Amino acid sequence: MDKSLHLDSVIKTHQITKEEKLLNKYKEKNKEVKEALEEEYGDNIYSPFNSGSYAKNTAMNTKFDFDMVSPFKRNAFGSKGTLKEMYEDLYDFLDEKYSDVATVRKQKVSVGIEFHSDDDGDVVKIDVVPGRELNQDQYSDDENLNLYVYYKYGNYDAGSERIKTNVQAQIKNIKDRATKEKESIRKIIRLLKVWKNTKYNYPTKSFFLELITIKAFDNKEITGNLWSKLETVLEYIRDEVTKDSFTLKDPGNSSNDLIDSLTESERDTLSYDMKNMLERIKDNDENIKTYFPENAKFLVEQKADNKYENKGNGFYSAPPKNERFG
Amino acid sequence: MDARLNKIQQVISELNGISIETPFSSDSDFIIVGKIKVSLDNSEEILIFDVRIYPEYPLKRLDTESITFSNSSFLEYGHVMGDGSICIHTSHNIDLKKKIEIDINSLKRWILKYYLNKENDNHYEHIILQPKEFNNIHFSYLFTEVDYSFNKNQFGFFDYSKINDGLYLDKTIANHIVQNFKDPFSRIITECKWSNSIKQIGNKNMGLFVFLDNPPTIRKKFIISNWEDLKSLVTQDFLKFLDNVQKNNQKIKGDPIPLLIGYKISEVEIHWQVAILEIGKFPIESFKENQIWKGRFIDKNIIWCITRNCSYNYFFGRGKLGDKITRSKILIIGVGAIGSIVATTLTRCGCTRIDIVDFDIKEPENVCRSEYSFLTGVCNKVDDLSNELFRISPFVEIGILDSGMLHFYSKILQGINNSKSKLEEPLASYDLIIDCSTDNDLMYVLNQLDLKRLITMSITNNAKDLVCSVEPKSYDWVMNQFENVLENDLEDIHNPTGCWSPTFKASYNDINTLVQFAIRHLNLKFSDDSKVLRNFVLKTEYENEFNIKLNEF
Repeated sequence: MDKSLHLDSVIKTHQITKEEKLLNKYKEKNKEVKEALEEEYGDNIYSPFNSGSYAKNTAMNTKFDFDMVSPFKRNAFGSKGTLKEMYEDLYDFLDEKYSDVATVRKQKVSVGIEFHSDDDGDVVKIDVVPGRELNQDQYSDDENLNLYVYYKYGNYDAGSERIKTNVQAQIKNIKDRATKEKESIRKIIRLLKVWKNTKYNYPTKSFFLELITIKAFDNKEITGNLWSKLETVLEYIRDEVTKDSFTLKDPGNSSNDLIDSLTESERDTLSYDMKNMLERIKDNDENIKTYFPENAKFLVEQKADNKYENKGNGFYSAPPKNERFG
Repeated sequence: MDARLNKIQQVISELNGISIETPFSSDSDFIIVGKIKVSLDNSEEILIFDVRIYPEYPLKRLDTESITFSNSSFLEYGHVMGDGSICIHTSHNIDLKKKIEIDINSLKRWILKYYLNKENDNHYEHIILQPKEFNNIHFSYLFTEVDYSFNKNQFGFFDYSKINDGLYLDKTIANHIVQNFKDPFSRIITECKWSNSIKQIGNKNMGLFVFLDNPPTIRKKFIISNWEDLKSLVTQDFLKFLDNVQKNNQKIKGDPIPLLIGYKISEVEIHWQVAILEIGKFPIESFKENQIWKGRFIDKNIIWCITRNCSYNYFFGRGKLGDKITRSKILIIGVGAIGSIVATTLTRCGCTRIDIVDFDIKEPENVCRSEYSFLTGVCNKVDDLSNELFRISPFVEIGILDSGMLHFYSKILQGINNSKSKLEEPLASYDLIIDCSTDNDLMYVLNQLDLKRLITMSITNNAKDLVCSVEPKSYDWVMNQFENVLENDLEDIHNPTGCWSPTFKASYNDINTLVQFAIRHLNLKFSDDSKVLRNFVLKTEYENEFNIKLNEF
């Protein structure tokens, strides 16, 4: 099989534009939440903006939620207000406003709003990330924000106030690249997200996968067809992520090292998963299909031709090829 | 023979620190006997031992040494048997001279450690006893833990169930399971912690028990041999109880009745020995003292029989799976070849909560590659397997799920209303579900549910590969392995009764090899918190030698 052709199909079938109706529902809810925040916080908030995969053009249609940064002014919660107070206030507001129509949850650095499924069975999920400018009115100049860590993840302790970040810089990290490279990076990021989505509760954040992909492009000669590019990135992750000296600087804050979002054993696991993946695909190309599955929903049906002649379709006395035994 | 005798005599006499006290000679059974004096370099002491060298020497006799060193005046020291022989285990050597050197060195080590330094081992040394028969039959009583602390001098009844008779060397043995303990008024004070199935074994009979403050021993390790020696350990109340029991059971005169004698072996552990009494011939006599009934034991040998502590930690003491698996509530779906092997392995390895479900009937031709037996004929697989498992472990609770309900909620009601939650709710109570059904449709349905841990196991034809999914949502992965990755040769299949019932070809050995390999891998991963479980395939290869390779995904 042609692995690159398959990967192209993976990307195509995961394009967010395929889910136009759902995307529109997201956009609508997104607008609604944004306006509610602006109304509630008035002069104490800058304009909330999308920060996640949708903003970075790396979204996919099997699992998309919108991330919205909510940039508060330094004194929004009083000159002595804490980041915890900011986080709790936002949670209380969203919970009060949406608890009848959604499940509102406290998450690592965000407050999640998961709207109950509508008549089509669609669920819209928006994560609101509260951030506070470093000094009153400084945000317009530097776009820096402090986030609040609600509960422990990786090596960040719960309540360890402030991860300083600059979300705009994060977005630009991809956007400002040369078009050709930018496209390759986005494709690899999307593929890694498809892979992550095959796993249950995988500890690496999408942002981590974005940064490590970009770092691989910065440090390796990444050429050839799509598979060969992906392979080089996978090898890079396998080889580098367990090194003590490995860092993954947040473009929004160079003192924020994303490698700290993983524990030692999670780093080992990530490297080991890359190793297994490379080996298994080397063993047999077909294995690529379960690491990087197409979205069956948007797969164009192959025309069924004379299937009864194929061996192992289970039509006659022999069982079909996918018969498992035990 | 003389040459052997002379050689032994010569080798021993030339050893450092050894001199011959009584020259060696051969008795009528070709056992070479003599007496030696042993001295150690740093000690003034000289010890004398009787030496017996059996004809097998330097080879072993069954599981005992073929040389003994004994001196009955050393009984109070550690690792000395009732006949005064020193308990030594020595290294294998087929050369007579070297073997004598090794064995004498072992003896010297014993002298240094247990005679001169008077060391005590940390582990408990159980009482040494040689079981005797009653009326030419051995009796055994298997006991386990109870949630109860016995008091000093407490006595009463216990119930036991008879299980299989067998042969113990050349005599019959009657085996029994201790079920509960009762007070002298026959009210149950505690049940033994067996599985419910064991508790339900009928065929119950009554025995007596007494709990002592100290073990019934001489020199702390040899069990007393005469009833009279027990007199300082029991109370008049207990003797009166024995007297009453005998009077009230005259109808069964001549029958044996077991007396369990319990004692503490640590702060948290007790042990039981059993003596067999005969109704009508209890070893007690009574007399009046100031008009008051008094009893005492008479001068009579005690018939000690066999007890075994079968509590969970003893039963599985030699090896089990890790706690993560054994403490899990487990469901096995499909108990064909793989499923039945998984079930018996988990049971033998210490799991105690296993439910099984399968709609299928066991046929005689299933026996050759699964855990079923011929003698149970044609019957439901689940019933047959639950009996097999019950026979293995006295701690396993086996539940049989209704296969019709599973089918109804997973297939017939699929996608309708709340069928998902109806199916998910009971299944989510399991810590581990092992789907060995090889039913692709069921795997698809289970794949949609939110379960704690779903494992699927299946093989390709001829057991060339074993495919094991352990990650959530692995349906696509499993199907891809069978459809696109692995060779599943479907031309060479077994059609026992026609093309409507084709099955794969593989023997018990082929399948079990892979299943055990897979379980070992799962157990290692489960036991190591720093590792994550990944789907895997076991691939076999045979060119010059047989190989199994585990590929994780």
